[in-house]
Amino acid sequence: MDKVLNKEIKQIIDTYPEVGRILDEYGIGCVPCSVGSCLLKDVVGIHNLDPQQEATLMYRIEKAIYPERNVSEPKVDLTKKSAPKKISYSPPVKKLVDEHVLIKRLLALIPSIVEYVETSIKVDKDLVLKCVDFIRTYADKYHHMKEEDILFKYVDDKAEIIQVMFKDHDIGRGHIRQVVEGAEKGNKAQIKEHILAYRDLLTQHIKKEDEILYPWIDRQLSVTQVGEMFRKCNEADASVGDELPRKYERFIVELEEKFLQEVTK
Amino acid sequence: MSGCPGSRTMDFSEKTNQEGNDSGKRPSQLRQWPIQMHLVSPQAPYFQGKDVLLAADCAAFALGDFHKDYLKGKSIGIACPKLDSDQEVYVEKIKSLIDDAKINTLTVIIMQVPCCFGLAQIAKEGAEKASRKIPVKQVVVGLEGNILSEEWI
Ligand SMILES: [Fe+2]
Ligand SMILES: [Fe+2]
Repeated sequence: MDKVLNKEIKQIIDTYPEVGRILDEYGIGCVPCSVGSCLLKDVVGIHNLDPQQEATLMYRIEKAIYPERNVSEPKVDLTKKSAPKKISYSPPVKKLVDEHVLIKRLLALIPSIVEYVETSIKVDKDLVLKCVDFIRTYADKYHHMKEEDILFKYVDDKAEIIQVMFKDHDIGRGHIRQVVEGAEKGNKAQIKEHILAYRDLLTQHIKKEDEILYPWIDRQLSVTQVGEMFRKCNEADASVGDELPRKYERFIVELEEKFLQEVTK
Repeated sequence: MSGCPGSRTMDFSEKTNQEGNDSGKRPSQLRQWPIQMHLVSPQAPYFQGKDVLLAADCAAFALGDFHKDYLKGKSIGIACPKLDSDQEVYVEKIKSLIDDAKINTLTVIIMQVPCCFGLAQIAKEGAEKASRKIPVKQVVVGLEGNILSEEWI
């Protein structure tokens, strides 16, 4: 089993698809991951399951890989239902989680925006580029840069999970370049394809960060590091000014007024 | 079950579930004097830029590993929100620790009895009055020295 623990998750799932299904049941969504080079032991460790759940999960994985082995089933006390864990973020991480909320509000509007682009005679280039500006300035420069330059520096940024995050950010930037090209050329299909792909990517990405990555980083931070990171993030925010987040919040509100009203009309 | 839980008599002398051991010596992690909140000055060098612990008087006695797990690496102020007088002074001192001494973080460590939450309230008020913002953590200690909760507030 130790050998398996040190294997890359993608390899394991490719060889034993059942393992992917088991992980999925425990809310560990490695199957659709774009990289999959995390080691099984890290994957399990990072999710911070309670000891009972972890024991059962490991037992089931071992059974799936070595069905002929006589593995003893861990005794699980079913009367002791584990309370759903409430995630408590440190203040600097909480700020990043709050920024996700505004980004998710844009993601939620994307299907309506796509429909609007598809049904209008001429592509509303101005609107598409305004959304791109939100994504590039607020989501990428303001938010992702704090992750890349500050938060990720507190853990080994060579760690696979961090590499996956960097890669997601990069793939997102690629989609947005395509959206801009589509808007310049008035190519509706190109806009649609890439903005929807961006929406899927970021939805998964934010979920991974909120539920897995941020709590994992928080667990490793000392009190001193939390204070230091809080200061660095505040300095980064101050360097762009208070007006920037307010401006993009207003943009989202306007967009919601435009598109949510259309839905209710 | 009546009267104030903060002063109700309880006896845990029969407690046997003792993990850990008594071998080895534990050095004190205290790096300053004085420590009482009325006596400390936010101007003291030991507060500047530091992580500060605001501890209820009883906490250090209840927690077996207080020095190792909580005091280590931090500066401290102690107080009792039930018995101390002039507690407005505490609020001002917290504010000054944040704004003038520019402390890095504040950890409030209190007992689980209701009156002890007054100390967390003092910390919150001081932090709200301050113009700088810093992370504030609250740790609640059970009467038998167990950690009941530890969270950023
Ligand atoms: Fe990210
Ligand atoms: Fe993020």
